[in-house]
Amino acid sequence: MKFLKLIFKNVRRNLLRSALTAAGTMVLVFVVTLVLSILSFLDQATSEKAQNLKTIVTERWQIPSRMPFAYAQSLAEGAPRNPADVRVPPADSMTWQFYGGTLDPKNRTPENNLFAIAMEPEKLMTMMDDLDSLSADKAAVFGQVVEKLKANKQGLVLGKERLRLIQKKVGERIKIYSVNYRDIDLEFEIVGLFPDGRYDLSAAFNRQYLNDALDTYPASHGGKPHPMMKGTLNLVWLRVPDQDAFQKVRTQVEDSPLYSNPAVKCETAASGVSTFMEAYRDLIFGMRYLLSPAIIVVLCLVIANAISISVRERRTELAVLKVLGFSPGQLMFLVLGEALLLGGGTSALSALGTRFIINDLMGGLNFPIAFFSTFMVSTDAVVWGIAFSTGAAFLGSILPAWSARNVKVSEVFSKVA
Amino acid sequence: MNSAIVRVIDVHKYFQRGSERVEVLKGLTLDVPQGEFLALMGPSGSGKTTLLNLIAGLDRPSEGEVWVGPECISALSETRLAAWRTRSVGFVFQFYHLIPVLSAYENVELPLLLLPLSAAQRRQQVLTALDLVGLSDRLSHRPGQLSGGQQQRVGIARAIVTDPTLIVADEPTGDLDSRSAQEILALLVELRESLNKTIIMVTHDPRAAARAHRTQHLDKGVLVDAPAMSHDFE
Repeated sequence: MKFLKLIFKNVRRNLLRSALTAAGTMVLVFVVTLVLSILSFLDQATSEKAQNLKTIVTERWQIPSRMPFAYAQSLAEGAPRNPADVRVPPADSMTWQFYGGTLDPKNRTPENNLFAIAMEPEKLMTMMDDLDSLSADKAAVFGQVVEKLKANKQGLVLGKERLRLIQKKVGERIKIYSVNYRDIDLEFEIVGLFPDGRYDLSAAFNRQYLNDALDTYPASHGGKPHPMMKGTLNLVWLRVPDQDAFQKVRTQVEDSPLYSNPAVKCETAASGVSTFMEAYRDLIFGMRYLLSPAIIVVLCLVIANAISISVRERRTELAVLKVLGFSPGQLMFLVLGEALLLGGGTSALSALGTRFIINDLMGGLNFPIAFFSTFMVSTDAVVWGIAFSTGAAFLGSILPAWSARNVKVSEVFSKVA
Repeated sequence: MNSAIVRVIDVHKYFQRGSERVEVLKGLTLDVPQGEFLALMGPSGSGKTTLLNLIAGLDRPSEGEVWVGPECISALSETRLAAWRTRSVGFVFQFYHLIPVLSAYENVELPLLLLPLSAAQRRQQVLTALDLVGLSDRLSHRPGQLSGGQQQRVGIARAIVTDPTLIVADEPTGDLDSRSAQEILALLVELRESLNKTIIMVTHDPRAAARAHRTQHLDKGVLVDAPAMSHDFE
């Protein structure tokens, strides 16, 4: 502690250089914290949980998965074949039907395209990641949106970024001209927004609306059912309590003759996400093994450069300190302390600042990758960002500190004289 | 004659310059009694500063021994030597070498940071040292705000703040005008008399050497007689 003031004053000695080094460090830590946040999020999404797992049931042999809606009810019950069957029923379930279209069929743009999930409104808050663990105040607000969705079959809930892109407001009505459910163009009323963050680009509505439209389709089309009728169910989520229950449910579902045309497969959500993320493997590899290390190396060089210059300028002073009785180890400690104060201090400031800016001010980082659109800066990323940067500062200052340690008093003063 | 506090015994010092080995000190032997003010004179390259560095524990002899009090400092490890320097030697430089970002108070306090003292004890010792050199009213001044003479006074306060047995000064008046130089010399004499410090001073200035009890001349790495300049220390 006695040396802290000395370290602090040395950092302040050349304010411009220290400020530039700190600025460089902050920018690099900002980037590395964002990268680590995305990687941490993806790791979390693809890592297997031991308990309270989500299981995804999809068509086994085809992407995109298209199953008959008739599968939904029995899947939710654990695929029983007769009443005597001893089944392990899922704790909860949810169906997904993807409905995509445009607000302007004559001039389709990425902005006026809308891709929405038809589902049971009440499942939004029991089955959807993050929405099932909202804070009490956010849950109260979003609960009201869900109630509107339940009460109004034509209700639509949007993410704030999606709402901005289509240039509408809550309460307005829109018509979607479908591209995958040809001739089923649905009119919606925007009843509310998703909580900020992960679902900023998402849209969801009551599945009853789509299914009713499919049911009435034959009446206006010569009795013919809609071509999508047999494949309107895209996936089913089942919640199971643990890995053991998952294995049993999977066996029940995959062995059941109820799901033979088409056949289905059952996998954990993490496994499903991993499969989907394969397409982004190179990008994620680059972020993890090229970009992140490159940033750390550059940070190391920035600190090494600043501290080297500082040590070179102060060789006489370091020699004086040696004369006064500072041991080589203490001189090394002083130089390392400066690097850690400059590198560690600014990286902590930057990582925490990044979290505040991204999470609290911006409501998340828009970085669409696979079906994830918005990322929040995680505590893990902040901690690792600070740790990596402080480590880089330490590594970068080892050589200059070693040089300070080995200052030869007689050589320095012979040059001075 | 008092007992010797500094004993330099048959010391040789070699430096390697390219392929050539230069012998700077050639079997030099010197005793400095407790409380003596010794001046070392000699032409450039005669080995004065090298000898001073050996006595202050800043360098090691190639051969021979250097004793200061009961300690053979030429045999100490670098870390122990550093600790010994803190307690036993005060060094006064020609160019003061104060830390520019620290105040006079903080500069003087520096060696005390290495000792197990409380903040209050450090403060008391720093104030005493600055009072002794007459700079009690310049505590918060940075070196750049002080004159050369004042900076050297701070340098002397820094040298005496740990109450060392030995003060070594390498041309302490070499960068000062004559009036400031006389003030600094008077201060060194006063410190020796009031605190009974042993002072070894390297100087080129005969007037500075005249303030010492004894002057030793070095030439080409050996002590030489210069009867006209030296007088015994009682």
